[in-house]
Amino acid sequence: MEASNSARLDTLLKRGELIESMSEMTPDYLKELKHTLIVSGDTELISAPAYYLAAKKAPSVNAFMTGIAIIQDELAHAHIAYHILEELGESQEYLIFKRDPKDFRYPYAFDVPLESWTELVTANALYDQAGFNLLGDIHEQCSYGPWKRGLVKVMAEENFHLRNGRNWMKRISQAGGAAKDELQQAVDWMFPLTVEWFGLPDNLKQHSAQLDYRLKGLTNDQLRQAWLSTVVPFLDSIGINAPAHQEGNAWVLNYPFPSTFDADDKRWDFNDPCTWDDVLSRWRARGPRNAEMVALFQESFHKFQVRA
Amino acid sequence: MGAFRLMPFTRVHQNVREYEVFARKARVDSLRQVGSVVAPDDDLARAYARATYDEERWIEMVIVPKESMISLWAPGEDEP
Repeated sequence: MEASNSARLDTLLKRGELIESMSEMTPDYLKELKHTLIVSGDTELISAPAYYLAAKKAPSVNAFMTGIAIIQDELAHAHIAYHILEELGESQEYLIFKRDPKDFRYPYAFDVPLESWTELVTANALYDQAGFNLLGDIHEQCSYGPWKRGLVKVMAEENFHLRNGRNWMKRISQAGGAAKDELQQAVDWMFPLTVEWFGLPDNLKQHSAQLDYRLKGLTNDQLRQAWLSTVVPFLDSIGINAPAHQEGNAWVLNYPFPSTFDADDKRWDFNDPCTWDDVLSRWRARGPRNAEMVALFQESFHKFQVRA
Repeated sequence: MGAFRLMPFTRVHQNVREYEVFARKARVDSLRQVGSVVAPDDDLARAYARATYDEERWIEMVIVPKESMISLWAPGEDEP
C-alpha cells in the first residue's frame, strides 16, 4: 500500500498534475505540506498584530482605515492556510489559540516592533514584497491544488499592500528632511532582516523536500535575488540608499551576510559578521515582541471560552 | 474524514457549520468556488463570506453548507 501510494504520488508530480486528496499523499508529502502551510499561516496571522500596533500611529483616519483593511486581508490569508490545515487533520483552534508563542513559525523580522507609520509602510513595501515573492512562487508551482487555488485571492491583495507601502515611502521620501531620515533609518534595519527572511543560502542547504514535492519552485537564493531585483531599484528610484548593488545579473550585498543584529536598538553591526548557527539561535529564541503579539489574539479566546 | 484524520478537534462553538463560498465576476463567467467559511448560523456565514472574500467586485456570491454538497466522485477517491 505504502509503496504503491508513493509510486502514484511520483507519477502525479512528474506529470505536473495537482494533488487533490490526502489519499494521494505519502506521509512525508503530508508532513512537508503541513510545515509549509504552518509557516505561511503563522506569517499572515502574526502580521496582523504587528501591523495593528503600528497602524495606531497612522497620520490620518484614511491612512488608518487603509492599515485596518490590510490587517483584515492578512487575517483572511491566515484563515485560508489554517483552514487547509484543518482539512488535513490539524486543529485550527490549537494552532491559533493554544500554541506557545515560541512555537509559531513566522520570520524573525516580525518580532522586532514596528513603532511608527513610517516603519509600517516600509514593512508593507519590504516584508509584503518578500511574502509576494514566496507566495507567488507557491501560487505558480505548488502541487497541492486547494492551496494553489486559495492563493489567487492572496496574490491580488498582497499586490495592494505593496502599492500602499511604495506610495507612502515615495511620499515620505519626497517630503525630505526629518521624515526622509526616519525612512532611511527604517530601511537600514528592515532591509537586512528581510534579506535574512529567505533562509539559509543554497550552498548551506543541501536538500529541499519542498522542492522535490513541488510545494515551491525556487530555491532560497533564487527567491532572495528576485526580492533584491525589485526592492533595490525601487529604493534607488525614491532616493533611499539600499545596501546592495548589481554585478552582472546578480545582486550583491554591501555587507557581510549574515551579520549580528541588536533587536532592542534595531541596529546591525556589520563589523561583526556571525555564522548561520548564531542566526538560527537568535531566530529560535524569538525577538522582543513575540509574546505580546501572540497574547493579543490568544487572550480573548481564553477569556471568552464557552464552557459546556 | 477517514483514516487520515489524525487529530480530533473542537471549536469554541460546538455547533458550527462549514460553508463553501461561490462567486463570479462577470455575467459570462460561471460560478466557481472561491473559498470557505465556518460559522454558527447562516447569517454569520453570510457576513463572514462577504467580509473575507472581498478581493473582487463579485456580481454574484452564494454560500452552501458543506454537508449539503453531494459528492459523486472526486480526484484521489475510488470510483463508485
